[in-house]
Amino acid sequence: MKKILEVRNLSKIHGQGCVHCFESTGPEIDSNICPHCGSVVAAHGVSFDLHAGEILGIMGESGSGKSTVVKMLFFDDTPSAGEAIFFDSKQQHNLFALNNAEQRWLRNHRFGMVYQNPSLGLNFNVSAGGNIAERLLMNDLTHYAEIRHRARMLLSRTEVLTERMDESPKKFSGGMQQRVQIAKALSTRPPLLFLDEVTTGLDLSVQARILDLILEIQQELHTAMIVVTHDLGVIRLLAGRTLVMKYGRVIESGLTDQILEDPQHAYTQRLVASAL
Amino acid sequence: MKAILKIEGLSKHFQLHDQRKLIPSCENVNLEVHSGGLTALVGPTGAGKSSVLKCVYRSYLPSAGSMHFREKGGQVTDLAQISEQHMLHLRQSEIGFVTQFLHCLPRKSALEVVAQPLISRGESRDIAQNKARELLRLLNVPERLWAVSPATFSGGEKQRVNLARGLIARPRLLLLDEPTASLDPATTERAIDLLRIIKSEGIAMLAIFHHPELVQRIADDVVELSPPIAAPELLETCCS
Repeated sequence: MKKILEVRNLSKIHGQGCVHCFESTGPEIDSNICPHCGSVVAAHGVSFDLHAGEILGIMGESGSGKSTVVKMLFFDDTPSAGEAIFFDSKQQHNLFALNNAEQRWLRNHRFGMVYQNPSLGLNFNVSAGGNIAERLLMNDLTHYAEIRHRARMLLSRTEVLTERMDESPKKFSGGMQQRVQIAKALSTRPPLLFLDEVTTGLDLSVQARILDLILEIQQELHTAMIVVTHDLGVIRLLAGRTLVMKYGRVIESGLTDQILEDPQHAYTQRLVASAL
Repeated sequence: MKAILKIEGLSKHFQLHDQRKLIPSCENVNLEVHSGGLTALVGPTGAGKSSVLKCVYRSYLPSAGSMHFREKGGQVTDLAQISEQHMLHLRQSEIGFVTQFLHCLPRKSALEVVAQPLISRGESRDIAQNKARELLRLLNVPERLWAVSPATFSGGEKQRVNLARGLIARPRLLLLDEPTASLDPATTERAIDLLRIIKSEGIAMLAIFHHPELVQRIADDVVELSPPIAAPELLETCCS
C-alpha cells in the first residue's frame, strides 16, 4: 500500500485573519466566522493520508470546508498554512512550495479534477473532443490523428456518443457534460483524481450511471480519488474511508461503513440519522 | 494449534449523544477461532452476537478489549488497534463477512454481485464470473436468476447469493451472521455441506446460528452470550 498524498494541517482563512481566528471558530463554537476580525475560517488543521488506488470520501454540509480542501490541493486556491506532499512514481513534490509553472504541470499531467459545475472544468468555446485534445496537447501529444483517436476512445469509454464529439459541450445535458469532464480529467491517466460533488443536481438515474462509471474506472486504472460530497449514498457507494468535516475541521474519520453504522461524534450521528 | 483469532474482553457500547444514552451491546466477550474450525456464537436476541462480528470486521469500533488476528504472513495484529488502511487490506484479502441481509444495488446482476470480491482482489472478470457461476450452481440458485439483480429475489435466494459472495474469495477468516436463517431445509443442507467443505479447506469461521441442532452438527466450539445489563449509572456518567 503506497502512500500517494500526505496532507498536514491544511488551513485556509478568507479575510485578513487574526491570532484569535482558530480558537474562536469551529464545531464547538458553532461558527466559522471569527468574532474578532470577521474572517472566515474555511479549513483548519486538516490532515490525512491517501494511498494509491484508494477512494477517500470527504463528507459535510455546505460551508464545512470540504471543497476548499480539494481546491487547495488542485491549486485552485492557496492555503493560509499547511503542507501537502504528493508522492509521484519517481519523485515527491511538496505541493505548496512549488512555483506556478510546476503547479500547472502537475495539474495538467498528474492530477485530474471533476467539478460540480461543468463550466469550470470544460471550455464551452471548443468541442467536446477539443476539450480533451487541449489536455492531450499539454501532454506533448501533437499528432492530430492520434489525439482524435484518443479523444474518441475516452469519450466512448465514458459513454458519450462519439458522433457528438465535434459539438460544444454547452449543448449537452448535465450528465453528458460530467462524462466529458471525466473523460478529460482521465485523458492523461492521472494517479490522483479529485471529484467535487460530481453528481449533485443530476437526475437519480444519471447519478447512478456516473457513479458506476467512476467505480469501474477506479477498478481499471487504480486511480486514487478524493470524493467530496454531502450525499451519504455517494459516500457509501464509492469511498473506502471517509472524513467528516464541520466548520472547517475534520471532526471524525474512519472506515466508511463504520462512520455510517457506528458514528462517534454527535454531529455525525445527527447527519447519519437524517439520511433519507 | 494457535488460534487465527483470539478475542479477549471485548465490549461494545453505543454512546448516543443526542439522546444522552449509553447503550451496551456486548460485554466482556472471550473466544477463539481456529483454522479449519467453526466457532458458533449463540444467545438470545440482544446479546450482542452481531456486534461481535461487526467489531471484528471493524464496522463497529470496539469500546474495550482486544481481537488478535494471525495474518497470512504469521504476524499477529490487534484488529481493535490497526489502521483503517490495514483493515481495508485485510478485508480485501483475508477476512470475509456474510451479513444477515444482502445489501446490493438494484442494477447489478446476481452474477456480478457474487464475482465482485474476486474482481476487487485483482482477478479477471471472466475467471471471477466463472467461479461465481460454479458457486451459484452449488447453492441451488436457479440459472434464470443469475442475470437479474438480487434486489428482486426472495429472502432465501438473496441469502444464497450472499453466501456465495462471502465464499468466492476464500478468505482465511469468514464471519457469518445467520447464514442459513431464511433457507428451506434442502438448501440448508447444501449450505451446511458447503460450510463443511470450506472448513476442510482450512478456513476459520465465526458464525451466528439460531438452531441448536445446526450448532451441534457443524460447530467445533460454542460461545454463549447473554444480554449485557443496562446500568443506569452508566447512562448518567457518559453524558454529564
